[in-house]
Amino acid sequence: MSELVTLLVTSVLINNVILNQFLGMCPFMGVSKKKSSALGMGVAVVFVIVVAALVTYALYYLVLVPIGLEFMELITFILVIASLVQLTEMFIKKYSPSLYKSLGVYLPLITTNCVVLNVCLVNITNAYDFSHMLVYSVGTPLGFALVLYIFSTIRERLELSNVPAAFKGNGIALICAAIMSMAFSGLAGIV
Amino acid sequence: MKYLLAALFFGALVLVYIVLYLLNKKTPLPEGCEDLKADCEGCHDFSCSHNPAHHIKKAEGE
Repeated sequence: MSELVTLLVTSVLINNVILNQFLGMCPFMGVSKKKSSALGMGVAVVFVIVVAALVTYALYYLVLVPIGLEFMELITFILVIASLVQLTEMFIKKYSPSLYKSLGVYLPLITTNCVVLNVCLVNITNAYDFSHMLVYSVGTPLGFALVLYIFSTIRERLELSNVPAAFKGNGIALICAAIMSMAFSGLAGIV
Repeated sequence: MKYLLAALFFGALVLVYIVLYLLNKKTPLPEGCEDLKADCEGCHDFSCSHNPAHHIKKAEGE
């Protein structure tokens, strides 16, 4: 049990997918200008990663391994993630218009989010059992959503700050991201 | 035999993707969602349809 808690804390805070592994930088810079957008993107990423991890994990151990096609994991996972995003978008469009209003526009962006593929591949390469896979697949997108939301609140305040002209926009945002990365690396001592 | 199986498996996955893509395209958008846009400021991925560069090109063309 303590191992699972450690894995959760590590995947959310210490080995944070954005600040430690530098993955998913496109939505991190692109969709962090407003708190509401960041929250929408965060929720959509959590949902897609958890579902994608469950499907790819099952597909790998129940289909690819028994027929000896383990070398197909990368291409399989890419196609599964792309198909899953289409399926999710279709269902949300049809059954939950309100959810589509808040998440729909971010769903196609998730297809190209490398965090999704990273989670699916790490689950296999680290040979996680089901419980570890589930904890890692929930923790990683939660860390992504947390950092994206914190960063969006910082960027909203930066809009009102007196920033030197040369640093305006992405310049000051990247400096803030670097400081955040250093701050989060300090959390390594808690585990 | 193994490589034939791999090709068939790959073909099946592509087929699933194409079918889901077409079904998704055919599903009508909910009311009020016809003109949704992401608040994306744009990164350097110009292949992404949300990149503002595409909107600028479209505006110039009009």
